[in-house]
Amino acid sequence: MDVLKGKSVSKKHPIVEGKALVIKDLIAFWAGIDWESGDIVEVAHSGRGQNVTGKILVFPAGKGGAGETFGYYYLYRNNKAPLALLCNTVQATTVAGAIICNTPMIYGFKKDILKVIKTGDRIRVNSQKGEIEIFKENLIYRKE
Amino acid sequence: MYLNKYQQQILEGKYGRGPQKAMEILRAMGEARGAEKMVEISYAHLMLPDVMFFPYGRQGKWGQELIRDLIQDIDHLSVPATIEPKFVDLNIAKQLEFSEDEIKEMNQIMESAVRFYEKLGVIPTYSALPFFVYPGKLNQHVSIAESISILWYNTIFGSCCERDDGVISLSAAITGFVPEVGMHLSQNRYAQVIVRIKDELEVNNFADSDFDALSLAISRRTKEKIPVISNLPLSVGQSYTKLKHLLATIAVESGLPLLHMVGITPEAPTLETALGPNHHKVEEVLIGEQEIREAYNIACTAKENHIDYVLLGCPHVTMKEFMEIIKIIDEKKVHPNVKFVISTTKLFRDTASDMGYLDILKKAGAIITDSMCIAFAGTKVKGTIATNSIKGAFFYSGFDQGKVSPVWFGSTKECTHAAIEGRWIGGGKYGCS
Repeated sequence: MDVLKGKSVSKKHPIVEGKALVIKDLIAFWAGIDWESGDIVEVAHSGRGQNVTGKILVFPAGKGGAGETFGYYYLYRNNKAPLALLCNTVQATTVAGAIICNTPMIYGFKKDILKVIKTGDRIRVNSQKGEIEIFKENLIYRKE
Repeated sequence: MYLNKYQQQILEGKYGRGPQKAMEILRAMGEARGAEKMVEISYAHLMLPDVMFFPYGRQGKWGQELIRDLIQDIDHLSVPATIEPKFVDLNIAKQLEFSEDEIKEMNQIMESAVRFYEKLGVIPTYSALPFFVYPGKLNQHVSIAESISILWYNTIFGSCCERDDGVISLSAAITGFVPEVGMHLSQNRYAQVIVRIKDELEVNNFADSDFDALSLAISRRTKEKIPVISNLPLSVGQSYTKLKHLLATIAVESGLPLLHMVGITPEAPTLETALGPNHHKVEEVLIGEQEIREAYNIACTAKENHIDYVLLGCPHVTMKEFMEIIKIIDEKKVHPNVKFVISTTKLFRDTASDMGYLDILKKAGAIITDSMCIAFAGTKVKGTIATNSIKGAFFYSGFDQGKVSPVWFGSTKECTHAAIEGRWIGGGKYGCS
């Protein structure tokens, strides 16, 4: 198990735990993700076809226009939002989405989280401590 | 995060629930991003969900709910504020394939929202180009919720604004503050990557859409790093229309608040000044003909030549674009199978009317509208669309060749020809045909 420390957007959230979905490209929550389904729909995007709902979404940063926050908010209102957001760098509209929709979000880790975390790893997100615990997917598999 | 006495009182609810909620959001943003304090703003540009973001159906209600808390106990704003376009001009909504029910619902949600914001004293620009009404000043702190305008205020005026969204900019307008982070701090405003345009590109002879293509080519390569273009002809900086085309695409593609252009932007009199402390460790990206053609190929998703819609004005059609359209239209008519929508601002519409352009365009059969977002409202139409905006093309097709609304992307000139002929002819030097 690895523990990584970053900066928590809000310390008030309880600990959440879920499966990681690692996306290598910047993500647009408005028009890049379909808020009806939670699928990444952007063309020529490395995450195209993946579904973000209920996942610990691991990505470099957000992109897109000033409507990003509304895109994230509609996703959340439609019960298709990720469980938590983990980013390398901070983007204001992504933070605003996390604040408004009470989604745990941690960013600014010492290591590149896109390299440390693999899709399918189990992640425990501790917003209060600004920490994530990474349980490698293959280890859990062996135990079971 | 430090709050002064007045900010603390807002947070404690002394001025009502709306301001309190606004300060809660701003403080949360400030703490999330490591701000030490708030900074006072003197102007805000608002993006309201119940005016602009598909104000019908489920999302229409969600939009209203999102800001319900924020607008409690509010009867004025702390700073002058302009506002984003309405979602659609209800007079032309039917022609853009909205149903009667949707129009009725939009009328309810959008119009009551508009009445409320105007009563607060919001300047009714309904424009994505608010800088024509409220230009910024060097080092002025503002809060802007519109991607091209965020770039414009930072880049062209040297004002300071972060990538604020609809909720943050409304909170900022209510309280008069934003967290002092990102672009509000001078040390974060230096360029991080150099872009050089190859000599083979004749930028002085660029069509307007070539600037969109250049912008897409740059943003695909510089990603989240602040670029400085080292060798753009200075004439680009003297044309609002060229700058509009250049800034609009990179604004959504890269999510950048700032782009330096040597000799054009106030903070980039020289390459060295733009780079500041980063000068010894930056990469250089080269853009040539191949990169421009590639950008056109990404944006053009249509295969067949026939055209159903020509949608111009993402963002709004400028006087220069009006002139280009008029020159080609002359006394010709729009093809009977084409809906040719020209979406502008109230300001430009009045000017175009004074110049006699509107009569010519109406006689030709074009649909003129203002104060609406053709990028959003245009997503409803089915059929092949021609546009002079890559930002528009992205919203219509998502650059996806499988979409029901394939897109031809080209210059204002090519789009106007398409409206007359009913088919895409192309002819641009780097473009698709």
